[in-house]
Amino acid sequence: MAEEEVKSTRPQGVAPAPNPKANGPQPGSPSLSAPANKPEVGPKPKGKAADDKEMVFVWPHLVSIEAIASLFFIFSLSLMSLLVNAPLRNLANPELTPNPSKAPWYFLGLQELLLHMHPALAGVIVPTAVLILLAAIPYIDSDRRGSGYWFSTRNGVRITVFAALYTMVWELALIILDEFIVPVEKATTLILESGEKLSVSPGVHWMNPHGLSHGIKPLFLHLFGRAPLTVAIGEIFIPSLLMVLIPYLLWHLIKRRYQANTRELMISMYSFFIASFVLLTIIGTAFRGHSMALMWPWHITPPIGI
Amino acid sequence: MGLWDRIKSTRLYKSIYRNDYPDTPRNQVLVILNSMVLHLHPVKIPKKQVRYTFTFGLGGTSLLMFLILTLTGVWLMFYYVPSIPGAWFSMKALQTDVYFGQFARNLHRWAAHGMVIAVLLHMTRVFYTGSYKPPREFNWAMGVVLLLLTFLLSFTGYLLPWDQLAYWAITVGSNMAKATPFIGAQVQLMLLGGYEIGQATLIRWYTLHVIFLPLAAMLLMGMHFWRVRKDGGISTPIPYDEDEAEFPPQPEAAAD
Ligand code: HEM
Repeated sequence: MAEEEVKSTRPQGVAPAPNPKANGPQPGSPSLSAPANKPEVGPKPKGKAADDKEMVFVWPHLVSIEAIASLFFIFSLSLMSLLVNAPLRNLANPELTPNPSKAPWYFLGLQELLLHMHPALAGVIVPTAVLILLAAIPYIDSDRRGSGYWFSTRNGVRITVFAALYTMVWELALIILDEFIVPVEKATTLILESGEKLSVSPGVHWMNPHGLSHGIKPLFLHLFGRAPLTVAIGEIFIPSLLMVLIPYLLWHLIKRRYQANTRELMISMYSFFIASFVLLTIIGTAFRGHSMALMWPWHITPPIGI
Repeated sequence: MGLWDRIKSTRLYKSIYRNDYPDTPRNQVLVILNSMVLHLHPVKIPKKQVRYTFTFGLGGTSLLMFLILTLTGVWLMFYYVPSIPGAWFSMKALQTDVYFGQFARNLHRWAAHGMVIAVLLHMTRVFYTGSYKPPREFNWAMGVVLLLLTFLLSFTGYLLPWDQLAYWAITVGSNMAKATPFIGAQVQLMLLGGYEIGQATLIRWYTLHVIFLPLAAMLLMGMHFWRVRKDGGISTPIPYDEDEAEFPPQPEAAAD
């Protein structure tokens, strides 16, 4: 029957004796009919292994959860659909570019990257690399141990939190640098929205860009001149270096700080990925207004031309 | 004999349900084996893996979103016209002239966002529970393709209403594709079916959205679920050593 089929086909081959992964009584196990919570010997409560083996019927134990969860989500989505309408804006007009034009939210992380680097990197190379690296995770970390329970090791949670904070600090710092460093070639007078005049002297300023070019790449060009090579360094080399360096340093920090094994290193890398995704998506969604300028969510006005 | 018993003894009822109500072990086995939908499950699973806080039901929720999207999507197809600018007018008409038109469209839209979120969270839960580890490597890799398909399904759908939001979001997206090194122009031409977003683009994305990508996703989901079974059901704990099994504290005390 199905039970048998599952057991005989699982490509287990895992450690023999106290195999907590065992999906029910193993063939040849002497405790085929032993009660699940039979106390066992040993200093540690090895009863765990037995607990892990305890089996329940899918009907009703799982089917009921599935039914309740499905009803819950169907109900919530219906309620939301009664209350909030899907947007349908003006008919598409190729002549009228809305400001800002944003991609759907799940691509706003990439659109955020686009503000800081060459579009080939942000739009193609980074997402492709991310998908390939994600798919490669189990081939890099191929130890079976540490699966089947949350965070795997004593340090799992700590590493997750550390990696997420590390990532967010780096990325926030870079985003802020890229926004507020304003290299100015020659003296300029700006007319602010308030009507005030603001004269800016040549040099590198820390200020709101007001339409002036801003960021690490312009700074680099300002310092080293505008040649094809410096442009390439500014928009390809520096961002690539940072995108490799930040996780690379994280890897070594985690290794040193926590004597991390491969699983723990993977935890730090995935946390780097997911924290970046979340942070960049939030910035792109809620902190970018007209002309994709960085601003507080409450200063953002609806896009023009939509 | 009560009414319910009388119904259950009719030939019609018996022709539909081959076993009695599953409240005995025998019928609890049979109900899984006899039902096409339920037989995706094993008959029994480890008690710990049923806990909602182990999977948060996220894979199942992704599937639920997909099913809602399929149903509402077919419904939308009855009204949607993939032409320029007819698409936009058909959406307008759907919202104002069709009973539950706005509601069905809303449901489709919110479930689409829901699916993207559910799939991302599902991947994250699979990662942090170490469930990608052997023998589940390939199922994880297939999952990554499912993630990509989910994004593509959502993104192709985004263009279809042909409003300003759709048109310019797709402009942003396809400009990124144009930046592909060496073959950028070809990639963009392939995506747009021309040099700018127009009728050819709409038909392309419509076809991808309503047929190609859903079929691909269904095929891959079928393989994904099959693999979950063949890899021995969802993952069960393999601690590094006995101590490690203690962390994070497995809250079985609360369960029993
Ligand atoms: C359309 C998208 C997807 C659907 C409908 C789906 C559905 C499911 C379902 C129903 C399960 C059973 C356990 C659970 O609910 O958590 C599962 C398990 C699994 N999924 Fe997915 N999934 C999808 C995408 C993904 C993605 C993006 C990944 C990873 C990159 C992935 C990797 C896995 C793995 C490795 C398992 C086995 C987990 C375990 O043994 O605990 N899936 N999936």
